[in-house]
Amino acid sequence: MHLFLTYTIFGLVLGGVYAIAASGLVLTYNTSGIFNFAHGAEAMLGAFVYWELRYGWGLPAPVALILVLGVFGPLMGGVLYLVIMRGLRETAEVTKVVVTVALMLGMLYLSEWFWNPQKDRTVVQFFGITSQVKIFGAEVSTHEIIALGCAVLIGLGLRMFFYRFRIGVAMRGAVDDPGLLQLNGHNPERVAALSWAMGSFLAVLAGVLLPPISGGALQANALTLLVLDAFAAAVFGRLRSIPRTFVGALILGLAASYVLAYFPKTWQWASNFRVSLPMIVLFVVLIVLPQDRLRGATVARTRERAHVPSMRSALIAAVGLLAVVILLRQLMNDSDITTLTVGMTFAVIALSLTLLSGYAGEMNLAAVSFGAIATMIAFHIGITGHGLASRMTLWGIVVGVAITALVGAVVSLPALRLRGLYLGLATMAFGVFLTDMVLMDSNLHKLPLFHTKFSLFSAGAGINSLVIPPLKVGPLDLHDGTSFLVTSTIVFAVIGIGLVALRNSSYGRRLTAMKDSPAASATLGQSLLRLKLSVFMLSAAIAGLGGVMMSMALGSVTPDNFSIFLSLSLLMLTVVAGISYVSGALAGGLLSGVGFSLIVTTFHNLASNHGSVHGLFSFLASFATVSPALIGIGVGRNPSGWVHDMIGNFRTLRTRPWVLAGGAVVEVLLYVLSLTKVLGHWWFAILTFVVLSLLPMVGQMADPEGRRRRAAEVPLEMVGIDSPYDDDLRLTLDRALGIEELAPVPTSRGDRPRTAAAGGGNGRVAPPLSAGVGDAGA
Amino acid sequence: MPALEVHEVSVRFGGTRALQDVNITVEPGSVTGLIGPNGAGKTTLFNVVTGLLSPSGGRVRLHDRDVTGATPARRARMGLARTFQRLELFTSLSVRDNIRVAGDIRNGWGRGHRINVAKETERVLELTGLGDIAGRDVADIPTGRARVVEVARALMTQPTVLLLDEPAAGQTEQETETFGQLLGRLAADGLAICLVEHDMALVMRVSGILHVLDYGQILAVGRPEQIQNDPAVIAAYLGGAA
Ligand SMILES: Nc1ncnc2c1ncn2[C@@H]1O[C@H](COP(=O)(O)OP(=O)(O)O)[C@@H](O)[C@H]1O
Ligand SMILES: [Mg+2]
Repeated sequence: MHLFLTYTIFGLVLGGVYAIAASGLVLTYNTSGIFNFAHGAEAMLGAFVYWELRYGWGLPAPVALILVLGVFGPLMGGVLYLVIMRGLRETAEVTKVVVTVALMLGMLYLSEWFWNPQKDRTVVQFFGITSQVKIFGAEVSTHEIIALGCAVLIGLGLRMFFYRFRIGVAMRGAVDDPGLLQLNGHNPERVAALSWAMGSFLAVLAGVLLPPISGGALQANALTLLVLDAFAAAVFGRLRSIPRTFVGALILGLAASYVLAYFPKTWQWASNFRVSLPMIVLFVVLIVLPQDRLRGATVARTRERAHVPSMRSALIAAVGLLAVVILLRQLMNDSDITTLTVGMTFAVIALSLTLLSGYAGEMNLAAVSFGAIATMIAFHIGITGHGLASRMTLWGIVVGVAITALVGAVVSLPALRLRGLYLGLATMAFGVFLTDMVLMDSNLHKLPLFHTKFSLFSAGAGINSLVIPPLKVGPLDLHDGTSFLVTSTIVFAVIGIGLVALRNSSYGRRLTAMKDSPAASATLGQSLLRLKLSVFMLSAAIAGLGGVMMSMALGSVTPDNFSIFLSLSLLMLTVVAGISYVSGALAGGLLSGVGFSLIVTTFHNLASNHGSVHGLFSFLASFATVSPALIGIGVGRNPSGWVHDMIGNFRTLRTRPWVLAGGAVVEVLLYVLSLTKVLGHWWFAILTFVVLSLLPMVGQMADPEGRRRRAAEVPLEMVGIDSPYDDDLRLTLDRALGIEELAPVPTSRGDRPRTAAAGGGNGRVAPPLSAGVGDAGA
Repeated sequence: MPALEVHEVSVRFGGTRALQDVNITVEPGSVTGLIGPNGAGKTTLFNVVTGLLSPSGGRVRLHDRDVTGATPARRARMGLARTFQRLELFTSLSVRDNIRVAGDIRNGWGRGHRINVAKETERVLELTGLGDIAGRDVADIPTGRARVVEVARALMTQPTVLLLDEPAAGQTEQETETFGQLLGRLAADGLAICLVEHDMALVMRVSGILHVLDYGQILAVGRPEQIQNDPAVIAAYLGGAA
């Protein structure tokens, strides 16, 4: 009884902190329509800033608290909204998710930059660990009472805010109809900014309260993933209702506490289980949630635009890619070849995202985790031979990929009935669950019937890693680096061409239709569930294939190779490069697979080699780790991705062949210099990049008319959305609309003529009945 | 036997009653008009009939079968099609592909005979007079024509019941004229059409029977000339304008 009481109180405290975090998540989601994946990261930053003020600077706790909760938290939320989130209106759901994911990664990297993760930091409970009271014999620390008190106050406070205050009532109204806010005389921007400030405050409060009750250690990753617990709680209220979110949070907290109390200590998986509990709860809740209402096109027109390449250009591009890779191969040493191969396998995984998000508009935040499934299966059933002579068989890969597709079906099925965001959440939960529970399993289990022993993720002796030998089929042995590089390039090219073909097929058109308007698709007789399920399974299979190949390229893999953060940054970079294009997958995959790790190590090496400018180079190295996140945040400005833009720029060069020829000559020269070792190959890469980026600019300088002509190609209604709205543009518009002089034209982005969408409001405007009465009745 | 029967359907949004015990029947081979001020509940009724919204009470019957609990896709497979007042075109596809994909979807139903999608697309383009803009992006065409694309798309599934939600809004007078003729032809071929429209001249011209919806309730049912002289209808419209 005593144990029960102690753990019940602990569960309530934990649930209270979850509730504080989750209510912030619900608040921002409902007022701005953006689900904030960086919510846990905000909590994490808050906790670290508090630690710095309290223990670094030695400020007294009340002062540190006032600074963190009163200034840092709200300021961070408000600024984030005004600088980043405001620009996300009228973008696809994937874009919104990617921006907050980028923010999350950026905050995580930022914290590692400022606060070395190698160092241990602890936060002590308020009033110290000895400050306790007894409740029916159970010892409860003052800190825990404070945490519980905060949760109760926040719950009551939010309730009052939403029902008593004018602006709170307005926020509730904003949930379904942003137009309502304006009717009530509120500025929706201001309301959203306020809600972000409040959300961030709640995140930071949770971040400050949580570490002391869960052991005291300050860990950036763990706190960042607090967002998972928060949304598991929020799902109880369908991401809408704050009271139900509180209930969900308490259930979660209690469940976690009871697992801690009553699971036998001999069950080694119990501690992993406790960590994964929110994910498990999330899945159960998703299964029982009633079906969502079908959504129509959320906006009349998203800013993302994708053009479908023809089969012919896809084939040409594939051959070109293979040629470039073979040429580059000549410049590389063995370790470079492996690095590029790993990048290419990442690009294959990225193709799964092109299919799923780019074509079908669905989300997978744990693509690399599906690679882990295929890797495990292939490891257990596909290896022949021993030691250095061991090889992967094709059979192992095929079965691994097939089972990955089935796992994909099981994971996605509960979420597919619901809105796209839920699939994103479910896959992320799956990814974390996999790394926390399955991949950590290095103990031997006995299969009861077969009398064999096995462990899920261990090559033996309790070591938490797998050795994956390269594939051998017939005469093809991927033990040879060049063969592997060429093979993985061919695999990428073949799947890429397959995707282009699929896009141009009946199936591809149905995917596009579902992405553009699920409601219209369904009313034409499309079974959305079947279509989503099939595309998710196909995409999981591609991710699985890419994952096995990555494992083979690396030779030996640990759970870190499948971390959720890797999946997230892959998704982010692919979206930034252009998620609707195979070329975007190539760029995104290469960048996340090799690019940034190479840049970082290069700068680190430079820093240690050049003592005098050490500071500068190590700064650049840190900056390089944060930069992908900055790029990801910037995706709000160009949601179609930059690779396609670049290709478009080159297309305009067709009219000026001498510029292209000049570029080609320079490139050949660089290549020869590099081949003869006059030029280091890193210089070759950097200079090539410079040439490629400068070429279109040179072309434009040679043809000042080009810009104007291209601007005219933008349909009138899209003018000024992707480019700055300057006087030049306004003149063009005025001329097109037949307005003589500079008339006051509304310049805000959202103002676009769309008369048809004006109906369906609340106003009861009578149509001109009499107008038709006279001449009717014939 | 009516193709579509709406029986005592009610819908609530929170406190407001959007529909209250609404009854409507739509017969094959005719156009049934449905008029009423903005906010009367016309679009809501279409959402209930197509299964995008479940009613709080009442039944929907399609070809004498109860479909109240059926999914939108199942209803479509039973011959129901619609257009949307807030355009729901597939904005990343061309006009032709918007129509073609409806045929693709139909062939994916997995029952009945398959249609030749390419040939049927050209026939429908011709029928609806969209041939001249077939290659354009739907995002770039005028609203009036976009509404015709929605009709053409719906026709690709070879429906037996067609719901049109303000299809003439944004059309020029000339376009409306042609559109009216198209409706007449479709009805003559045996299609059951329910038309929501604010262009009274068009409604009065093509409708056989007219229903008037006001504040979620059916105010009057009758032939166009009866409706025009119904005092309750006139009062509702004048009241709405005041
Ligand atoms: N999703 C919704 N949530 C709340 N109220 C709604 C919703 N959809 C429609 N309404 C309300 O229901 C009523 C009927 O709307 P609607 O069917 O669009 O009318 P109509 O199509 O006749 O103009 C209106 O008062 C409208 O505000
Ligand atoms: Mg309407």
